[in-house]
Amino acid sequence: MRSTVKVGTSTCGLATGAEATFRALQEAVSETGLAVSTQRTGCLGACHREPLVEIVVDGAHVLYGPVTADRARPLLEGHFTLHGAPPPPEDWVVSRTPDRRDYAFFAPQVKVTTANCGVIDPLSLEDYLAAGGYEGLRRALAMSPEAVVAAVTDGRLRGRGGAGYPTGLKWKICRSQPDPLKYLVCNADEGDPGAFMDRTLIEGDPHRVLEGMIIAAHGIGARWGYAYVRAEYPLAVKHLEAAIAQARDAGYLGTDILGSGLDFDVIVKEGAGAFVCGEETALMHSIEGRRGTPRMRPPYPAASGLWGHPTNINNVESYASVPSIMTGGAEWFSSLGTSESGGTKTFALAGAIQRTGLVEVPIGVSLRQVIFDVGGGIRDGHSFKAVQIGGPSGGCLPECLLDTPVDYGPLRATGAIMGSGGMVVVDDTTCMVDLARYFLSFTQDESCGKCIPCRIGTRKMLGILTKITRGEGDTADLDRLQQVAHTIHTTSLCGLGQTAPNPVLTTLRYFRDEYAAHIHDRHCPAGTCTALR
Amino acid sequence: MVALTIDGRKVEAGAGSTVLDAALAAGIEIPRLCHHPELTAWGGCRLCLVEVEGQQAPVPSCGLAAAAGMVVITHSEQLEAHRREVLDLLLSDHPLNCVICEKAGACDLQRYAYEFGLSESSHEKEIARKLYQDENAFLVRDHQYCILCTRCVRVCEEIVGASAIEVAQRGFEAFVATPFDAPLVETPCTFCGNCVQVCPTAALVPVDRIGKGREWDLTRTRTVCPYCGTGCGIEVATRGGEIVSVSGYGAPANGEFLCTKGRFGLGFVGHPDRLRRPLIRRDLAYSLGLIDTPPPAALGRSPLGRSPAAGETHVEVDWEIALDLVADRLAAVVKESGPDAFAGIGSALCTNEDNYIFQKLVRGVIGTNNVDLCARV
Ligand SMILES: Cc1cc2nc3c(=O)[nH]c(=O)nc-3n(C[C@H](O)[C@H](O)[C@H](O)COP(=O)(O)O)c2cc1C
Ligand code: SF4
Ligand code: SF4
Ligand code: SF4
Ligand code: FES
Repeated sequence: MRSTVKVGTSTCGLATGAEATFRALQEAVSETGLAVSTQRTGCLGACHREPLVEIVVDGAHVLYGPVTADRARPLLEGHFTLHGAPPPPEDWVVSRTPDRRDYAFFAPQVKVTTANCGVIDPLSLEDYLAAGGYEGLRRALAMSPEAVVAAVTDGRLRGRGGAGYPTGLKWKICRSQPDPLKYLVCNADEGDPGAFMDRTLIEGDPHRVLEGMIIAAHGIGARWGYAYVRAEYPLAVKHLEAAIAQARDAGYLGTDILGSGLDFDVIVKEGAGAFVCGEETALMHSIEGRRGTPRMRPPYPAASGLWGHPTNINNVESYASVPSIMTGGAEWFSSLGTSESGGTKTFALAGAIQRTGLVEVPIGVSLRQVIFDVGGGIRDGHSFKAVQIGGPSGGCLPECLLDTPVDYGPLRATGAIMGSGGMVVVDDTTCMVDLARYFLSFTQDESCGKCIPCRIGTRKMLGILTKITRGEGDTADLDRLQQVAHTIHTTSLCGLGQTAPNPVLTTLRYFRDEYAAHIHDRHCPAGTCTALR
Repeated sequence: MVALTIDGRKVEAGAGSTVLDAALAAGIEIPRLCHHPELTAWGGCRLCLVEVEGQQAPVPSCGLAAAAGMVVITHSEQLEAHRREVLDLLLSDHPLNCVICEKAGACDLQRYAYEFGLSESSHEKEIARKLYQDENAFLVRDHQYCILCTRCVRVCEEIVGASAIEVAQRGFEAFVATPFDAPLVETPCTFCGNCVQVCPTAALVPVDRIGKGREWDLTRTRTVCPYCGTGCGIEVATRGGEIVSVSGYGAPANGEFLCTKGRFGLGFVGHPDRLRRPLIRRDLAYSLGLIDTPPPAALGRSPLGRSPAAGETHVEVDWEIALDLVADRLAAVVKESGPDAFAGIGSALCTNEDNYIFQKLVRGVIGTNNVDLCARV
């Protein structure tokens, strides 16, 4: 009998006390003398049930949660029926199947990039290899670089960092540059408030991200890679650095990788926590040791990036998708999604829903499926009002747009964006004006200050919104908002400024009556604007 | 050379030029605040946006490489509306103190506000930073007027190589700072004042210029810097014959920029102690019969430690008398002791040409190689 007790100790788990649970379980194991091994693992995504503990006995899986430290001993005794202890209460049980599909939260999900998260020990290369790790790299190295790039193109992978630029095309442009010295950058700055997709991926399965980068290096002909991880993610940095060290020892990094002649290595660079440093040119300035300010493009990084050399920059999730394209094939990967974009997308599902967490769904499922099937709908008898998708650069969509597929084009058409994966659901207790104000205050604060429309324009918009939430607005304010928003959107230098008005524009478009109520009736329909109570 | 169309006109642009360069060369004006011809493009002010055929959004012409066949529009209703809005936003963070401002008449912001007919911002007024820093003898940094164009930052890094200043903080709080907000004297600043010269507003002003009049009160004269032999072209702004400020103007020897001596060191030009006419010693003048009264006997070191004034020890004479005297005396020395008894020391404060002529005199006329110069040019 081989028994394992796994505890999810990613940052989200730790926040709910998983460390204490893990210790309590270890103690309980040694006190009871049970022949089970305890193991740390990443996050399964079901944050609403953390701390999560999975007990695997001879291939039989039971997932429990929340398992707080005080439940550790009764759980073990109950599960293994020691001293005739009763089985753990049914409401502790999340799932009883290996694929966890008996739990509604997991049923509609398709796990590709997060397949190993919460399953393997992220600090164990053996675990990753046992789960099929580095097989994609082997296959890629057996292919010509052009064929690797072509596979990514055929898989219709689009950048998961927000803009959705076709990854294969980006690689091809970079590959075709005559400069022999090329760089590769993994963007793990993840600054959107409430977003934690990249953190979870790196913490839970760092080798997958690394493998994707190595395959990309082969495809592009890059010699050096940087992983730019925000400093607020110490665990992710630790796991990635551990994985890099293991990969070097095992010959997946360094010179002549797996005897293929490929030379490539990765350096972790910690960012200092500015949202704008997620923008690719600002990020590269930051790596170069300069002030993290975006610059005009062209030249794009693929032509002139780090220290003037061609540089390919992709998001964590983009790289994490690549090994699966190599193992599963471009056709399979592209068939997961839509005719526009292949594969899956992770979302940090949060807000007023039953089941929050990190979810991975095929591109093209509807917002309704994500919110109601995966997320279980709205909490405690309230009703759905809006979903904010794409973080501070995204938009707020109403009920009537819930059948919009999560895909780059269709979401853009609504005025929101796919973004990097933030999805916040709000119910009737949220004021849309105040929500727009919140997101704008974020972008206003995080503007780098380089260009006038973003530096001053977002500030003025914030001023007008604050005025409205105080009940001091007038009709002219709405026109002024729209006008300034238009100039900020059109004239700002980088994506931060260009998208900053989105939350305001979408709420003006879909929830104009709430603005009207604040202005004409001096009334906040949701009852959250204190000045209007 | 590439050929493109700007505002319906066929325009030729040199290799590597931007659309803005090409437009300006063709006499087409595009509003701009952060651009400076000698500095790398920045793209921050967004006034230079133009419409390019085939591109959805307007593009900043200062950073856009001119390409063959490009079709560009520099002025349209849309563009003017955006420029106006951007200026309107900028003016909300700028005290429009034009009536008392040193920069009035030479200020780019004032000029555009005038062109767009903006007498005040339509937005709520809020000045991001009101710090006034005048802790050094050369330049005042008055942050309330700063529009964050970073011309100063770029000139300091790219031209001067001092990198004494950089933008600090983010968003509305961003400002041009020294490392750890130290006073300029504690930074690598050389006080060359090139930042002052490129500043489009009154955020950087030479101390000596304050209260000395506005642009239209000044007379600008182009001349050569009298400080050293490099021969930098300088433009001296004077009022009533008095120097108010100095700047570069794009002269062959130095381009646009100057060093601290040329810009801030010309105080000697109008100084009362400056020698303007030849002086010869009183005793000599008496012995030559140029004056009637002998010099006081013990005029050497005063017991009070006061150095005697020039008028007490010397008398002013004509150039002709002075030069003849020097020539006679030199000839006498050479005749009596040979040319090697003579040595000449030139000056780095003279021009190259002056120093060349000087060594010619020493070598060719006097006949010795005993000639040197502090700068060894
Ligand atoms: C203000 C701003 C912040 C951004 N932050 C991130 C980020 O945190 N992570 C990321 O992957 N991309 C971010 N991006 C997008 C990057 O600029 C870039 O497009 C992306 O890393 C490219 O990778 P992809 O093609 O794989 O998406 C940001 C863009 C902007 C304008
Ligand atoms: S849009 Fe905003 S964040 Fe981007 S460069 Fe301009 S000021 Fe900086
Ligand atoms: S005076 Fe010269 S060295 Fe000092 S900050 Fe200005 S440009 Fe830099
Ligand atoms: S001080 Fe002058 S040159 Fe420097 S950023 Fe401000 S306005 Fe521009
Ligand atoms: S001059 Fe081009 S953006 Fe300022």
